[in-house]
Amino acid sequence: MKTSAHIHRRERRAAWALVAPFAIVTAVFIFYPLYRSIVLAFSQTFGPGATEPAGWLNFRMTLTDPLFWVALRNTALFTLGSLFIQLPLALILASFLNRPDLRGRTVYRLVMFMPQLVGLVFAAMIGGVFFAKRVGAVNQILHATIGLDLDFPWLDQHVTISLILIALWLYVGFNMVYFLAALQTVDRSLVEAARIDGANPAQRFIHVVIPSIRPVLTFVVLLSFIGSMQLFELPYVMLNGAGTENRGLTVVMYLYQQAFVAGDLGMASAVGWLLGLALIAAAALQMLVARKEAA
Amino acid sequence: MPSRDVDQNPRRPLADRLPPWVNAFSGGCWVIAIVGLISGVTVLAQQQRREDALQLWVFADIHRKLYTPIIEDWNAAVSDSNAEPVNQTMLGQEPLRRRMLAGFFGGLPTADLIEVERTMAGQLFAGPVEAVGLIDLTERMKAEGLLDEVPSASLTPWTTRDHVFGLPHDVHPVLLGVRMDLVEQAGLSLDGVETWDDFAEALRPLMADEDGDGEPDRYLLAFWPNESARDKIEMLLLQNGTGLFDADGQPVIASEPNARTLAMMVSWCVGPNRIAADVRDFEATGNQLKTQGYAVAFFMPDWMCNVWKNELPNMAGKLELMPLPTAQTGGRRTSVWGGTMLGIPKTTTDFDAAWDFAKHLYFSPELARELYRSGDIVTPIRRFWDDPVFETPDPYYRDQRKGLVYIDAIDEVPERHASPYAQTAIYRVADAATALLRYAQSEGVYEQEDLVDEAMRLLEYAEQQVRRPMETNLFLRDAEPAS
Repeated sequence: MKTSAHIHRRERRAAWALVAPFAIVTAVFIFYPLYRSIVLAFSQTFGPGATEPAGWLNFRMTLTDPLFWVALRNTALFTLGSLFIQLPLALILASFLNRPDLRGRTVYRLVMFMPQLVGLVFAAMIGGVFFAKRVGAVNQILHATIGLDLDFPWLDQHVTISLILIALWLYVGFNMVYFLAALQTVDRSLVEAARIDGANPAQRFIHVVIPSIRPVLTFVVLLSFIGSMQLFELPYVMLNGAGTENRGLTVVMYLYQQAFVAGDLGMASAVGWLLGLALIAAAALQMLVARKEAA
Repeated sequence: MPSRDVDQNPRRPLADRLPPWVNAFSGGCWVIAIVGLISGVTVLAQQQRREDALQLWVFADIHRKLYTPIIEDWNAAVSDSNAEPVNQTMLGQEPLRRRMLAGFFGGLPTADLIEVERTMAGQLFAGPVEAVGLIDLTERMKAEGLLDEVPSASLTPWTTRDHVFGLPHDVHPVLLGVRMDLVEQAGLSLDGVETWDDFAEALRPLMADEDGDGEPDRYLLAFWPNESARDKIEMLLLQNGTGLFDADGQPVIASEPNARTLAMMVSWCVGPNRIAADVRDFEATGNQLKTQGYAVAFFMPDWMCNVWKNELPNMAGKLELMPLPTAQTGGRRTSVWGGTMLGIPKTTTDFDAAWDFAKHLYFSPELARELYRSGDIVTPIRRFWDDPVFETPDPYYRDQRKGLVYIDAIDEVPERHASPYAQTAIYRVADAATALLRYAQSEGVYEQEDLVDEAMRLLEYAEQQVRRPMETNLFLRDAEPAS
C-alpha cells in the first residue's frame, strides 16, 4: 500500500513534469532573450564576433541622437492623433450603432469593421497609392473639388496626417466593436432614470454611459496607446522607410534602423529597453489614474 | 510466491504491473514526454539531413531562372564523379540578409555559396577583418588571375581593408534612357548634348503647356529627392562628386563636389527652370506616369532595361539610351547603381567544391550571354565583351545595340568603397537632399550656385551624423588602416 508521502511525491513530480515544457519554452524564448538584450544594451557590437562591454554608452548615444527625438516626436504625434481622433470617433460610431431603432445595424457594423480584415500591410500599400502625387485618388478628388495642387506632397511633407487617416480607416471599426460590446452592457434603467431626472442626451452620455463603460474604455485606450507607440509597419510600407526627412520615422523604426541598417545591435537593444520601460511606466500611470477616477 | 500470483492476475490494474520508474510519473506526463521526444527527434533529423549537395542562396528570381539550366548541366556532369552537385534556393532579399547575418552572428551554418546584394555588404564587413563571415578570396583570385579579368569598380563594393570577399556578378553602369519618340515627334535632337544644361536646353520645348492648365505637360527628368531616390542620389554623387567614403573607409560626404552636385539635383526640382518630376520606379503610380509620358528621361542601369521590359511592355520602341549628361564639360558620362556578388561563407563544408562551382557559374560564357539575353545585365568579365550577343539590336530600345553602349561606359564606372556605415550614410545624405529641397522651396532660392552653401552645411551635418557612431566605436579605435 502506497503511503500518502509517496503519492504526494509522485504528484509533485507529475506537476513539475507538466509545467516543465512551458517553463523551458518561457526560459529559452522569453527570459534568456530578455537577459541577452540587457547584456547587449550595455555592450557595443560591430559585426560577428565583436562585442565589448560599453557601460551606458548606448543609452547616452540614443538620448543624444537628434534622430531619436525626431522618432519620439513623430510617434507621440501619431499616438495623440490615435487617442484623440480615432477613439472618440469609434465611440460616437458605436453609440450610433447601438441605437435599437437603427435599421441595417449589422451591415453598418460589417462595413465599419471590414478595413480591419485587409490587414496592416495591405492598408499601407493602399495608403501609398491613395496619397500619391498626381495620380493618387486623394489628390485627384481634391483637385477636382477644391482645386488642390495635383502634386500636393502628402507622403513627403504631411506624413503624420496621412498616417493618422489610414490608421483611422483601419482601426476605427476595430475599436468600435469593443465600445459597442461595452455599450450593450450599460444598464438601461440607469439611463432611463437619468432621463426622468431631466438629464439631456449629452449629460446622460457623460455621467451615466461613460462611467459604465470605463473598464473597457481604459482597456481600449491602453491598447491604442501601446499599439501607437509600437507603430512600424504602416509607415515602413507606405513610405518605403522613414519617409522624406524622417517624417515617418517612429521609435520602433529607429530601433529597426539601428539594428538592421546600422547593424548596431547594442544600441537597438538600448532603444528597445527605453521604449519598453516608457510603455510600462505610461501603462502603470494610466491604470493608476483610472483606478483613482473609479474610486 | 505472492508476487508471481499477483503478476498472473489479469484483473490487476495496469499501473501495478508496470515497473516503479514508469509509475513515478502519471500517464499524461508520459504522453507529453513521448510526443515531445518524437517531435524533437523529427526536427533534429530534418536539420541533420543536410543534402549531399552544395547549397546556393540567391535573392532574385531572375538570377534563379538564369542559374537553373547551368546548375542542371553541372549536376548532370558531376553525377558520375566525386564532385558535389548544387542545390539552389531562392530567398527574398530581406530573408536572405537576415538568415545570412543570423548565421554569421550565431556561428551557425548558412549556405556554401551566397549571393549578396550591395546594400547588404556594409554589415557583412563590420568588425575585425578576420571576423567577416565570408572567406577571403583575395589570394585565390590573385593566383588564378581573376582580379585582372574584371574592372576594379566591380570589386570595390566587395573589398574591405584590401581583402576581396566575393566574385562580382556585374558592373551596372548607368545610362540615360530617353523617350526618343517624343523627342523626334517634336523635331528635337540630342546631338552634341554633353552636360545637364545642354540636355535641358535641347529638350525644353517638350515642357510646353499645351493643355493650358498653367503647368508643363511633362518634365524632362524622372527624379525627385525623397526617400525613394536614395540610390539615385548616391549614383549622382558618385558621377559628379566624391561619393560617400574614400578607400580608407573614411566619410567624404561633406566635399565641395558633393555639395555642388546636391545643389544641382535640387535646382532641377524648383523654380522657373525646373526640369524634374517625381516619377518613381517599381511603383504602379510611377509606371502610370511613365506610360502617360509625364517624364522624358530616366536613369537606367543595365538591369533597369529589363525592369522596363517586364513592367512596361507597352513602352517598347520608345526609349533610346545615351551616356549620362554631366555637371560640367569633360565629366564622367556614367555612374553605377546596384550590384551583386557571390561569397563563400566560412561555414562551408567544402571550400574547393564551392570555389569551383562559383567560378563555373560566374565566369562561364553561357551565363554571361544569358545574363544579357534574359536580364540585360552586362558581365564584368572583360574577355566576354566581344561576344556577339552584345551586338544584338534590341527592339524594345529602338533596335539600339545597347550592350555595346553599356560596355563602352564600363571603364568610366566610379568605384564605390565598402563601409559598415554605407547605408547610414546613404540615408543621411538623402535627408540632406530633401532638406535642401525644402530650403529652396521655402526661401525661393532656385539657382545651383545659390544653393551650394546650404548644401554644404547640410552635408556637413550628415557627415557628422555618420562620424558620430564611428567615433564612439570601440573596435575602430585601434583598427588597422585600410590601405
